[in-house]
Formats: sequence, C-alpha cells, structure tokens
Amino acid sequence: MIVAKGLTKYFGTVAALKEASFHVGRNEIVGFLGPNGAGKSTAMRILTGFFPASSGEARVDGVEVHEHPLEVKRKVGYLPENVPLYEDMVVTDFLAYAGAAKGLKSRQRHEEAERVMERCGLLPMRRRLLRNLSKGYRQRVGLAQALVGSPPVLILDEPTVGLDPAQIVEIRSLIKELGREHTVLLSTHILPEVSMVCDRVIIINSGRIVAEASMDQFTASGSKPLEEAFMAAVSFEAGTGEAAP
Amino acid sequence: MKRMLAVFRREFYGYFLTPVGYVVVGMFAVISGIAFTLSLIGYSKMSIAPTDYGYNTTPDLGETLLSPYLVFCGMLFMFLSPLLTMRMVAEEKNRGTMELLLTWPLRDRDIIFGKYLAGLAMLLVMLLIIGVHLSLLGSLAPIEPAVLVFGLLAVFLMGAAFISLGLFVSSLARNQVTSGTATFGLSLLFYVAGNLGAQLPDTNPAPAAWPEVLRAAAGHIYGLTRGLILELPVDTHAGEMALGVVYPGDIGYYVLFSAFFLFLTFRVFESRNWRG
Repeated sequence: MIVAKGLTKYFGTVAALKEASFHVGRNEIVGFLGPNGAGKSTAMRILTGFFPASSGEARVDGVEVHEHPLEVKRKVGYLPENVPLYEDMVVTDFLAYAGAAKGLKSRQRHEEAERVMERCGLLPMRRRLLRNLSKGYRQRVGLAQALVGSPPVLILDEPTVGLDPAQIVEIRSLIKELGREHTVLLSTHILPEVSMVCDRVIIINSGRIVAEASMDQFTASGSKPLEEAFMAAVSFEAGTGEAAP
Repeated sequence: MKRMLAVFRREFYGYFLTPVGYVVVGMFAVISGIAFTLSLIGYSKMSIAPTDYGYNTTPDLGETLLSPYLVFCGMLFMFLSPLLTMRMVAEEKNRGTMELLLTWPLRDRDIIFGKYLAGLAMLLVMLLIIGVHLSLLGSLAPIEPAVLVFGLLAVFLMGAAFISLGLFVSSLARNQVTSGTATFGLSLLFYVAGNLGAQLPDTNPAPAAWPEVLRAAAGHIYGLTRGLILELPVDTHAGEMALGVVYPGDIGYYVLFSAFFLFLTFRVFESRNWRG
C-alpha cells in the first residue's frame, strides 16, 4: 500500500533522510520507530505530500506522491505531529471543514463529522472551542480529522505523545481497531507501544532505515527482544548496512 | 470549486470568530461615515454660496462630493486591508495548520483563491456601508446610475488590489505582524513613490553630449521607469472611474494589479517544491 524507494531529503546541506526504502502492506499497522530527530516526521511529510523528497520515489496505492499529489491526498488521512488545529473553531465545525476540504457534500460532511466524533469519543465535546480542549481531546480531534472521508491509509505522527496513561491506552486500542479497515503507519519513540499496537516495525536512525521486521520475529523464542534490537540498531553506525533483528 | 468554497467559508467566517472582522468593518463604518458627513457639509456650504468657493453655479455633485468621498473610501482600504490579509497565510504557517491544508486534497488554487475571495467578500460587506451613505444621498439629490455603479466598482477594485498585495506578502511571512506591517509599508511606498514620480520631468534626462544611440536608449529606459512609478499609487485610476467615466485601461490596471500579485502568491506556494 505504501512503498518508499530511496527517499532522500535535504534541508540545505543537512540530510534529514538518506536513501530510505520501506513498504507497508494493505491493512497492516506498521510502527516507525526511532529516536527524536531520526527522520520519522520527514518521511511521513513526504508520503503525505506536504513537501517533496529531494530524490527517490514514494507511492501510495501505486500512485506516485509528487506526480499525483491530489490523488494521493484523497487516499491518506494524516495526523501531523503537535496536532495543529484551528483554535477559533468548535469541534463539529472543524471536522465539517475537514470534510468540505476533502470534497464531501454538505449533508455528507455533517454525517461524517458525527461518525468520526463517535468513533473518537468526541461527542460530549462537539460544541467546544478547539482552543479550550485538553491535550488528550486535541489528539482525538486530530485523529478524527484524519479519519474524515475514511481514507484507506492513515499516517499518524506520534499519536500518543503527551497523553496520560489512560488516554494512551484508549488511543492505542482505537488505532488497533482502525488497523482492521485501514493501512496504518504510525511513528513513535515509545518501545512498548510498538509491540502492543503494531504488526511490523521499521527502525530509523539519523535518516537511515536500520532495521525492518515483523513483531513475530521479536516475540519468537530465541530472538532478541525489541529493546535490544532497537538499541543495537540505533547505536549501529549508520551507513554500513542493516542490523539484524 | 467545492473545495475552494470550503476554504472561502472558513476564511470568511473566521473573520467573525475573532474580533478582526468586527474591528475592520466597524472602523470602516465610523471613518467612512465621518468622511461622508464632512463631504456632505462641505458640499451644502458650496451649493448655498457657490461664488464664495469660485463656482458660478451649483457645483457638480459627482465631482465635488461623490468622487472624492469614494476615492477616500478606497484609500481607507490601504489602512484596513492589511488587517484582513496579514493572517491569511502567515497565521496558517505559524500555527502549523498549513500542514493540514497542504495534506488535505486541496489544490494551491483552492487555497489561494478561497482566501482571496474571502478578502473580497469583506470588501463587499464594507461596500454595503457605502451603499447606505449613497442611498441617503440619493434621497436628497439624483445620482447618475453610471456614477453609482462605477464609483462602487472603483472602490471595490482599489480594495481588491490591496487585498492581492496583502495576500502575497502574507504568503511570504510567518508572522502576522511582519505581514501586516510590510503590506501597509508597501502600499504606502507605492503611494509616496507615485507622487515623487509626478515630480520627475518627462523629458530625456541624458546629457546632450552623449552619442545619439545611448541617449535614445537612456531616454526609453527613463520613460519606462517613470511611467511605471507613476502607475504605482493604487488610486491613480480610480478618480475618473468614480465620476462615472470609464476607460477599459483603468479597469485593466486593477485586474492586472491583482493578477500580478496572485501570480506571485502561486509562485511562493510552489516554492515549497524546490526550496530545501
């Protein structure tokens, strides 16, 4: 569903992403794991068409992102890091606006807003101003906005960051549920989160993909646990190849 | 189209979710109201004793009241439109919501035209206030329909020019204050530069000692530059239009002015594709 081949992104002379190649299968939940500043957000922003890669290609459902941005954006729901929202709007209006921007008709967009609010547990907050919402609810609104229009692919940049433990559990179970109908790529730097939510993990460090493996490989007896694999991958000198899980 | 309307609606209602819309429309109402009252008082004095003011008969309503009042309203947009445009793109970038807009299935033109149209819609709201003044005036004295229509059009086109300039500046800035200040500064610069340009002699300034070819070339460049500077103030083409006298070139000037800055805004949006 998502295929990245040799993605490289330069900001000035700094390479945020170097020759990153990975793929995500249909209805798979894949965790993008890496320390802060590893290039997770950069890769996600390329996939969502926010900015183009310096070189390499990214495809979503077979469509090249930079060549057909509109088609790709219709297929992708994106939760940006830090969840930017229109602070002066109320929840329903904001979600209806997201629906309108995604091309839904007037009645559809209100039905869709209702649906995603129910899905994300936002119904009690529907008339609240976004600026007055707590961090947890903001995160849910961000997620709800990504879900509007039921795009087949969800790209979630740190969906659980800044939440309290109860909220983290809620969001995680919501993501697991979503994984049944959507292809999900989520980024995180929380190790247990990956093992709880994801089918597969891609470890990224200083702009390079250093490991890619399914969760079964970590849980199988006789193999290294995820923590060890992560530490090995991250301390691994970038550029000499892939670390084994 | 549907998506452009979505951006337009959000932008337009956004003015009234914050105090910005009320402040701008309110200020326009008060200031244009005072200007209208003063023009009316001035005109009534003139029509009671025209000889005191150098007229032989009652002075023309359009020339002495309407046109200056309408051009004043247009110039008022120079001060008010930065308040409308400064947040258009700069705030989206600052708050990070640009990331939503650019990852939703919107084209650049949906975003840019949506925002530009929202600015124009605010102008229409303010034109309603002028409409109230004019209908008051209309109940006292007959106004030629051409003066009415083209007068309002002149005000609208002046406002549209300021909005396009402001949208362009906003697309460059990340901070609303920078965006607003730069827009206002540029409008004022255009205005002042034009008045300075009017002082430039229209003869070739190159010394007669220069070879003929060089002199001719310098004269052409000088003439072109002078012509351009003279065109900079946004009100130059409004005065006659506000009298109901319309030259296609005058309307063309405003259309081109807006088109030019919208074009630049598109290029700024596209720059994300090649900027590192």
